[in-house]
Amino acid sequence: MAEILANGVRLHVQRIPPSRRTAGDAPTVVMLHGMIMDNISAFYFGLGNCLAAAGCDVICYDLRGHGRSERTRDGYTMAESIADLRGLLDALGVDRPVHLVGNSYGATLALAFGLDHADQVESLTLIEPPFLVDGLGEEMARSLEQLLAAMSDQEVEQWLADGAGRAIGRSMRAARALLRETTIGQDMLAIPSFPPARLAGLNVPVLAVYGANSEIVNQAESLVGLMPDCTLTILEHTTHMVLREAADYLRDLMRWWLFRRREEMPQRRAGARFVTPDWVRQMVPPPGLNSARRGNDTVPSPNRA
Amino acid sequence: MTSSNASTVGHRPAATTGRDELERRTTVELADILRDIIGEDYLAGVDITVDTTFNADLELESIEFVSLVARLRERFGSGVDFASFLAEMDVDDVIGLTVGDLVQFIADSVDAQGAPAHTTGS
Repeated sequence: MAEILANGVRLHVQRIPPSRRTAGDAPTVVMLHGMIMDNISAFYFGLGNCLAAAGCDVICYDLRGHGRSERTRDGYTMAESIADLRGLLDALGVDRPVHLVGNSYGATLALAFGLDHADQVESLTLIEPPFLVDGLGEEMARSLEQLLAAMSDQEVEQWLADGAGRAIGRSMRAARALLRETTIGQDMLAIPSFPPARLAGLNVPVLAVYGANSEIVNQAESLVGLMPDCTLTILEHTTHMVLREAADYLRDLMRWWLFRRREEMPQRRAGARFVTPDWVRQMVPPPGLNSARRGNDTVPSPNRA
Repeated sequence: MTSSNASTVGHRPAATTGRDELERRTTVELADILRDIIGEDYLAGVDITVDTTFNADLELESIEFVSLVARLRERFGSGVDFASFLAEMDVDDVIGLTVGDLVQFIADSVDAQGAPAHTTGS
């Protein structure tokens, strides 16, 4: 079942069945990853197995052009992304409303899908959604341009040529191919903004999660203010990479959201924050810092203390 | 890494012959699947053992680990609860496992079922 044809594109899908029974039908949770340097694995390992172990029917897939899914030349508009997801659910025979969980662009996609197909959505969890009432497409396209420029830097070329490592090298080359050989940039530019009137009519519970140190955290207030049923949590000491930086808390949060929402929202455990090493505070790098970055064990890691 | 099922190879008292054989054959199967996923070209000359690490030794991409788990789910069915094994692990925890960690978990699950997971004579 790893590959499914949906909306005319081959999508790599992994469905994790619930490993325990819960009262009532198992909630179906569909996870939507972020753009370019992301794929199925972040959600599959970050939340997917956990929610299947908690009793959910979990569906993860690689978005068009990402991971193991087909890299078509075009078809990266929001409308096509929505059609891909709709086609995927049809192909899998999912005929009940689903809980959508999205990260970054995947969260924007989840919201857009929810607006178009509210009757097919049980809830939305939006992790770090880029959200603007005006100019969303321009902002998304600009961030892709910056990413491509950074990846095309001569030093990066040299680093890849010198053996950046099999895993990083492959994911970097795939990301560059997606940016250079497809219409994803133009398609992002064409992403429509979210009309406030439609958001006001969204009759679906929404959980929004932002990192306090994210460059887009200032978009949270506008998002929450426009939707009638939105719960917002902003996590201290995390960035746009909150899914990776606070996966343990997000697992607790999602179990609460899906199974115990009438109870109080779980608090992030004390001590979960990133501990800044002393040498960073004192601004005196240890002598072996660079060799430690290459994987040698000459400098004690604060995490191992 | 905090999985109640996670354990480490190499710290057990002498196991029974049946258990040793189960782990040996599971290691062979796992190595075959890994060669299929990663490709023989890259793995030429690499001996996959219980001590092999997925990140440092095999440079396994996280998406390849997704494929690995999917193949193992197909192979062992619902009797081996990979979701619970992986539930509290982050991506880095998963990639940081050794082949032996995974073999141990599978063997524990198969033992707990009390049914042979491997047919004889293959």
